Formats: sequence, structure tokens, C-alpha cells
Amino acid sequence: MTSRREFVTKVSSVVAGSGLVLAQGPSASAQQPAPASGSSQSKLDEIRARGKIIVGVTSEAPPFGFIDEKGELVGFDIDIAKLFAKEIFGDETKVELFKQGFAARWPNVQNGTVDFGAQVTTVYPDRALNVAFTRPYIDSGIVLIVKKDSSINKVADLNNASYTVAHLTAPVQAERGKRLYPNAKFLTFDSISAQFNAVKLGRATAAQLDSPVAFYYAKDNPDIRVLDEWLTDVTGNAVFLRQDDFKWWLFLDTVVAEMVGGSRFSAYKAIYKKWFGIEPSSARIAQSGRKA
Amino acid sequence: MDYAAQTAHLLIREFPQLIAGFLVTIGVASAAIPLALILGLLLVVPRMAKSSAIAGAAIAYIELMRNTPLLAQIYLIYFGLPLLGLYPSEFTCGVAGIALQHAAFMAETYRGGIESISPQQWEAARAIGMRKLKVLRLVILPQAIVRILGPLGNQMIILIKDTSLVSAIGVMELTMTAKMAIERSAASAEIFVAIGAFYLILTTFVGAVVRLAEHYAAESN
Repeated sequence: MTSRREFVTKVSSVVAGSGLVLAQGPSASAQQPAPASGSSQSKLDEIRARGKIIVGVTSEAPPFGFIDEKGELVGFDIDIAKLFAKEIFGDETKVELFKQGFAARWPNVQNGTVDFGAQVTTVYPDRALNVAFTRPYIDSGIVLIVKKDSSINKVADLNNASYTVAHLTAPVQAERGKRLYPNAKFLTFDSISAQFNAVKLGRATAAQLDSPVAFYYAKDNPDIRVLDEWLTDVTGNAVFLRQDDFKWWLFLDTVVAEMVGGSRFSAYKAIYKKWFGIEPSSARIAQSGRKA
Repeated sequence: MDYAAQTAHLLIREFPQLIAGFLVTIGVASAAIPLALILGLLLVVPRMAKSSAIAGAAIAYIELMRNTPLLAQIYLIYFGLPLLGLYPSEFTCGVAGIALQHAAFMAETYRGGIESISPQQWEAARAIGMRKLKVLRLVILPQAIVRILGPLGNQMIILIKDTSLVSAIGVMELTMTAKMAIERSAASAEIFVAIGAFYLILTTFVGAVVRLAEHYAAESN
């Protein structure tokens, strides 16, 4: 008995076996059908039968979603999610808030883990290739935070090899970085709180954040300030859901339209004021002739 | 395009970034494994010391490092050192975090091997006048290491899988590059199966090397 021959036989059989196992992988996931619009039920019907909505949210981007001192998940996005539950079931508690990381947003709506996401998610056309968006429910934009005593005042100041910028894993941030400050070093994190801590603790000179999140952090952290120059146009955060479900998208989009300037504007105004301290404006109200 | 062609197209497109991440994973593991092995060895000597103060300190370190989550330790090193004015790179912090915890596991593994060597060998070596550390180095350890090659290999494989945690502090290893590929392409199952295969290749290779070492050691005994 040669131990070497035994050994070689065992190793090759393990490799062959794992090769066989792995070959099952792609064909197994092919069993989940690519969404066939005709045959599968709309999410709206599924939800009404189920009795609650499951909404993807974040717990680390104040004031949109975060854990407060009492240990509860609260935030602007969370209150918006509850409004949807109120519209479908008349009861805003019929919602399950599903905390997810930013990298899991698209897969979780596509595979049905969540019914939709309300998670600090900006509408970009290239994202619309893979997921569906409603119209935006809040305006936003991307800004940079720096430490108060930093010498950075304009975006162009960052374009220097001695500076480091903290990004999120979202590819659009890296693209912006390559375009606006290619000489700086990039750090990539998978959570907004890690980005913020990187700046606060001096690991990075600056970080790209959504403007409402940046202002919220700056309010509680006087050693952080927001640059006046924004990195983007005014953008919009919207609800995202899987493609190929027109009935569900139309319902969600209708609710958003009514929230931001129609029959549900009062409820929306209250939530907005609660988290941002000011009232939202609405073009429809301004044009309607109503005085207040 | 049918599903297989689509997936192949996707994986080919993402392949360069995934390979780059795989190389970083190999880099982290290659740095952390020797460091953990050596630190573990340095730790087992005080651990088995006669003085209860020295042994106590070693035991305290081992218990603390084994029983706290590796991710918390990595965060503490990366975000905590700047408070002391130190700014090591994320790669350094990641390797340090992994090596410091796994050294604790290695130390216990070494201890098991050393204690399994018959005390008569200790007595015989001491009787001919060898000092304790020399006994350890020349007589006990060579035999002990041969016995614990299996468990050491186990620990190394666990260490390789733990390297995925350093993605939390921004090291662009395989899990991080996979997450970014998923954000670009919205195809999570395919990417995760692909990186599972990468990790499997690495761990199988290390496991095979250890088993080869065990065979040679057994043959030479």
C-alpha cells in the first residue's frame, strides 16, 4: 500500500466531487425563473393575501433609518414605510421592517425577500436597468463631509495624493471620485457609519454622503462640516422594487405621488417636519391657488 | 441570451476584479498565517510557565482573544488606534486583528500537542542537563508539531475564511470585490457561487499541503 498513491487518489476524487457539486450551482439557480410577467402573481395581490408588507430599510443612515436611544428602529424612511402599510391595510403596524446592507438592496427585491425598499436610495438611470423606481419621495444630493478644521473648501481641493476619501460600495461613488478627484486615495466601506467614523477619526479626509444624512451628522457632531459645493445635481431618493410587476409599481408610485403633493400631503408634511425640522414644499400646492 | 450565456458573460466581465480581490485575500492569509503560527508559539511558552503570574497573563490573553468576535477586534484596531495617534493601513490592521486572535487558538493547539508528549521525555532530557527551553526546542516541539499538523491545518483553513471579515474596514479582498460586483450587476447568486469556488480552491490547496506534510512526517518517523 503506497500512501502517496492513496493520497493522490483521494485528492483527485475530492476535486472531481467538488467540481460536480459546483456544476449544479448555476443550473440550480436557473430553476428560479427570471421574472415572467404573465405567470407570476403581482406583489400587490400577494401582500393583500399575506396581511403585511416587508420593507427593506437601513439602520445606519440617520435620519432615514437608525436605532435610537431606546433601541428602536426609527427614521424618515421607516415612517414612510408605515404610511404604505396604512394605505393598504388601514393599519400602519402591518409592516415588517427588514434591515439590510446596501449591497443587498437589488438582490433582495429581485428574489422577493422584501416587497420594496425605502432605503436612502437615489434614482440613477443605470440602476433602473436592474430595478424599478417610483418617483422620488424626497430630494437629495451627494455632498462631502470634512473635519471642521480641514483645509478643504472646494471639491477640486481634494484632488491631491495626500488626501483620502471614504466611499460606500455603490459603484457610482467610485466613478464620481475618479472623475472629480482622481489623484486622491479611495477607501471603500460597506456601511455609512464606517464612512462617517473614518472621517471623524482621521482615517479619511472626506466622505461622500447623501445630503440629509450629512446635515444630520453635522448637527450632532460640531467637529464635522459639510462642503458648500455639492457633487451632484439635486437628486431624488425613491422606493425601489423588482421589475416586471406593473401592478405593484403603479400602486406604489400612486401613493408616492399623493404623499408628496396630493391627498396624503398632510401626513407626509408631518413626517418631513418631524425629521428635518422644516416643511416640505410642493409645486402642486403652490399652483393650486390655496393660500395655506 | 439564455441563462448560461448571460451568467458566463457576467462572470467573464467581473473576472478581473474578482481575481484582484482573490490575490488580496491570498495576501492577507499569507501574512496572517505565519504571524499567527509564530505568535502562538511565543504565547505557549508563558502559558505553560510554572509561575502562575506569567501563566495567568497568557491565559488572560488567550481567553480574551478567543472569546470576543473577530470583527469587533478588527474594528477596534482600525478605528481605535487613531485615537492614540497611530494610523496603520487597513491591510495592516486586518492582518494584525486576524493574527492576534488566531495566535490564541494556535497556542492552545500547540499546548495540546506538547502535553501529549510523554513526561518521561522531559525528565530524560532534563536529566542529561538540558535547559527547559532547549528541551522544548530540540526534543518536544519537533514531535508535538508532527502530532498537531491536522488541527493546525484546520485553524489555517478557518483563518482563510475569516479573512472575509477585513472587508468591513475597506480591504479590497474577495468578499468586498464580490459585493461591489453585485452592486454593479444585481446578480448575487452567480457572484457568490463564483467566490465560493475561489475560497474552496484556496482552502483545498492549503488542506492538501498540510496533508502532504503529515504524510512526509509520518513516513520519516
